[in-house]
Amino acid sequence: MEPEKFQELFHRLESEVSKIIVGHDDVIRKVLIAFFAGGHVLLEGVPGLGKTLLVKSLSRVLGMSFKRIQFTPDLMPSDIVGTQVLAESDGRREFQFKQGPIFAHVVLADEINRATPKTQSAVLEAMEEKQVTVFGESYPLESPFMVLATQNPIELEGTYPLPEAQLDRFFFKLLVGPPSPVELKEILQRTTGAENAEVSRVLPADGAELVGGMKQLLRQVLIAPPIEDYVVRLVHATQPASSNGNPTASPVKQYLRFGSSPRGAQSVILGAKGNALAEGRVHVSYEDVEKVVYPALRHRIILNFQAEAENVNADQILAELVKQVARS
Amino acid sequence: MRELASENSRKYPERLVSRLVAQLRHQALWDSLSYFSPPLLVIIYIAGYLYHGAWVGSLAALLMTLISIGAGILAVTLRYRPLVPSASKASRLIDERAGAKDRFLTLATIDPKRSPPSLIARLRLEAGGFLDRIELRRDFPYKFKKSCYASLIGSILAALLFHLLLPVAHSTLTSLLPAHQRLRELAEKMAERPRLIEIARSLQTLAAKLEDPKVAREEKQALIEEAQKKVAEQQKKEKQKDDQDLLGQAASTLKNLEQQSSAGKDQQENQEKGGGGVQSNLPQEGQGEGKPSPGGGGEQKGEMSAEVSKDMQQGKTAQGDPKEQSGEKNSQKQGDGKNNQPDPSKPDPNKPGMEKGKDSAGKTQGGGDDKGGRGKASEEIPQGAPPADRLHQAGEQGREGVKGARYVTVQLPEEVVAETKGEKGGNKDAKGGRVGSKVPVSNVPLPAHLPDAPTETQQMPLEYRGIIR
Repeated sequence: MEPEKFQELFHRLESEVSKIIVGHDDVIRKVLIAFFAGGHVLLEGVPGLGKTLLVKSLSRVLGMSFKRIQFTPDLMPSDIVGTQVLAESDGRREFQFKQGPIFAHVVLADEINRATPKTQSAVLEAMEEKQVTVFGESYPLESPFMVLATQNPIELEGTYPLPEAQLDRFFFKLLVGPPSPVELKEILQRTTGAENAEVSRVLPADGAELVGGMKQLLRQVLIAPPIEDYVVRLVHATQPASSNGNPTASPVKQYLRFGSSPRGAQSVILGAKGNALAEGRVHVSYEDVEKVVYPALRHRIILNFQAEAENVNADQILAELVKQVARS
Repeated sequence: MRELASENSRKYPERLVSRLVAQLRHQALWDSLSYFSPPLLVIIYIAGYLYHGAWVGSLAALLMTLISIGAGILAVTLRYRPLVPSASKASRLIDERAGAKDRFLTLATIDPKRSPPSLIARLRLEAGGFLDRIELRRDFPYKFKKSCYASLIGSILAALLFHLLLPVAHSTLTSLLPAHQRLRELAEKMAERPRLIEIARSLQTLAAKLEDPKVAREEKQALIEEAQKKVAEQQKKEKQKDDQDLLGQAASTLKNLEQQSSAGKDQQENQEKGGGGVQSNLPQEGQGEGKPSPGGGGEQKGEMSAEVSKDMQQGKTAQGDPKEQSGEKNSQKQGDGKNNQPDPSKPDPNKPGMEKGKDSAGKTQGGGDDKGGRGKASEEIPQGAPPADRLHQAGEQGREGVKGARYVTVQLPEEVVAETKGEKGGNKDAKGGRVGSKVPVSNVPLPAHLPDAPTETQQMPLEYRGIIR
């Protein structure tokens, strides 16, 4: 695939989703980047900000199959991945695998933190291995496969915060903020009038193949070794004991309990490549890296009690890191 | 040709990075050279100056120059290496200047073989579009760094300081060296100049003779005078500045030597005249107030004599008892100078009135005849007789010449005298110390003799009282 074609499709997808979702351009772009990078996205925001609508719109414009799972405390793993059911055919009774809602191109795991850890972990294998195993038998998931999970940061009562292992599986964690007054006015105009905006499908019927080509192109994007080194230094700097074994050497370090895993660096590089392609370039620049470092690392660095007590969040620490780590 | 080059650079924009690296490398080299050249030149100049001024020999000057050049090259290399920019740094400079968003960086650092050719070609095309925005000479001109200015100013200041401090340092250093060593060094320097070889030889001989304690003083004096004459003659003949400088140094050294030698000779004569023994200016019973040291007020030629007299006046000679020192000071006060003369109208309880006239006469004699003061005082003391005869006996009136003697002068053994004379060229402190320690001259006032006084007994130290009974 040509870079120009990628850029054109990317922009069409963005503009189509923007017909439904007012504002949140950055969130839309990052979700699309994660999609073409083969990652999953965790969307965090208070209710009513259009998270679910965003995912629905995205699946529509992509022309991919879409399933929504509403996570609740009584949700069972089999409700997600599927189960064996006894079926009768030709007078014979046998177990047949009944696919769960995970078998779709785009899966919306709504309020994922409301399900029990057991149920949450059922999604783990699907997200990482792109397959599910039921009664010892593995079933591959369709490609492309993307999980878009949402969680509410304020209603924490009766929730099960996602464990670090599961958080690490998400390519990006995107924060969906409240709309600005202008955006809110636009939302009102679009939703309270007689006309309802509809999104059209951008990708053709054989979209999966096209998406495969776009994914391949994204991975071919050129990245200079000094920029790779910069990413390595950034990710390494999130380790509390990275600065000569002295965890208190930097004020940034005093708030971190654990740093990012190598998956974080992978996400930064792939995200930067996706951003470069989206901007019509075939090479990664330092700016691309700095644009994706927040969504790629904010859920991978674990804050300590001091940070919680002092109301320091991951983005503040990452901003400090970006300032401290010099470009090579 | 130019078009071809332009086409090439458009085809391979990363070559611009190589060109910039080369340009920045030259600038870094120039920076390092301009930083280290001024001090290096100053060092070479100093070496040359020292050589021309005959402060150092040619070998030392050459070594100094070579070492400083070597150190300079090393310093330039050490400074230059970190300043040389890498390809990535240079390409980032171009990217920043052209707003190329790391295109040149990617092209300069990426391995084209491991990357898709279509993307590389596209990137080259994109980067080629930014070439018009960059002109290396315009965008990356050489600027003289502040550190280079600082180096230049510092070096000039160092050269000026050198010129100012060299004479001071030289005078300090030469005063520390013994005369024969100075002569030897001068001779070595002169030996390198063909026209001064003869003088160099004579100076070498002189230095050897001066070192030899067996050579008589007169002979040394004669050699010094001879060398002085030779140097003076050569000075008249010589027109070259460097040689004249050398000869001037030699002349001043010889002059110093001559002065020292004659001073030593005077002292020896004084000592010979004094005949050694003991000379005292202690106020004696029946002799009235003593006169001041005969050599004390005189302007001595020999430094040593002056030192001795000074010490005598100040009571610095080796004294056993501080009480005695203070007592002696009091007696000196009485005897020193005309202003300190006792009022003749006031009777001295310690002296009979008939002695006062003699005392004042003695004082006049000692204070007035400065140059021969010491000698005359020595003449007053009978030579050759045993000390007991030369000194007052208890109750004696004393003979002429001895009375009024307030200092004790001990004749030095010959070897001590020779040693003292030979080392007169040394510094003043050393001389003072030597005189004070080796020449047993004392102005200890002799205790007043009382015929009926009990014999003085020394108390036994406490620690021995239990052992010796």
